[in-house]
Amino acid sequence: MNASIGFTLSHLQSMLLFALLISIAFGFLSRRRPIDRVKYIVWSLFLFLLIGVGIGWAMYPFSR
Amino acid sequence: MADETAAPTAPPQDSRRETFAFVIGVAGWLVPGLGHALMKMWGRAAACFLTVGMLVILGAGMRGNVFSSSGNDAFDWLGYLADLGTGTLYLVAKSLETNGADVSHAGGDYGTRFLATAGVLNLLAALHAYEAARGRKA
Repeated sequence: MNASIGFTLSHLQSMLLFALLISIAFGFLSRRRPIDRVKYIVWSLFLFLLIGVGIGWAMYPFSR
Repeated sequence: MADETAAPTAPPQDSRRETFAFVIGVAGWLVPGLGHALMKMWGRAAACFLTVGMLVILGAGMRGNVFSSSGNDAFDWLGYLADLGTGTLYLVAKSLETNGADVSHAGGDYGTRFLATAGVLNLLAALHAYEAARGRKA
């Protein structure tokens, strides 16, 4: 296989994709029932984004 | 998806179960999700394969650094170990990134993290499959 691919993602898109994929993996690995998995995925995704944006805002004063 | 509320299938004898669990763990490391698939945990197998695969494709596509064994320092070695965690997908990442890594911009740096995360996540999934095969949890 010799097929080069390329993606150009923004910071927000990268964070969203990362958080979504990790949340799905954690949800499926740590819960058995489908409803529990969905709840875990949504809650984990929310926390990923909240903490990510929170850290971003916390670093804002030091960015310039 | 199959019912995953049932206990995982494993041979009854302890020594056989240990061997079976080891094979499951190695299979799960080599091909993401294969360990769970061998135990008929189809949902988890699909989730592991798709999430780890997506992280590898995105990481390579963003031109993240796929570390090699010829690392210069401890961080390169740690990155190599993390990347190796993806098993055979490490070779896929290598083959996808024909233009080499480009960490001069944020996207490439994020790609490096995506690849390392894919490896560590796959190791976690393989360990989960190993433990499930031993009958400890699932």
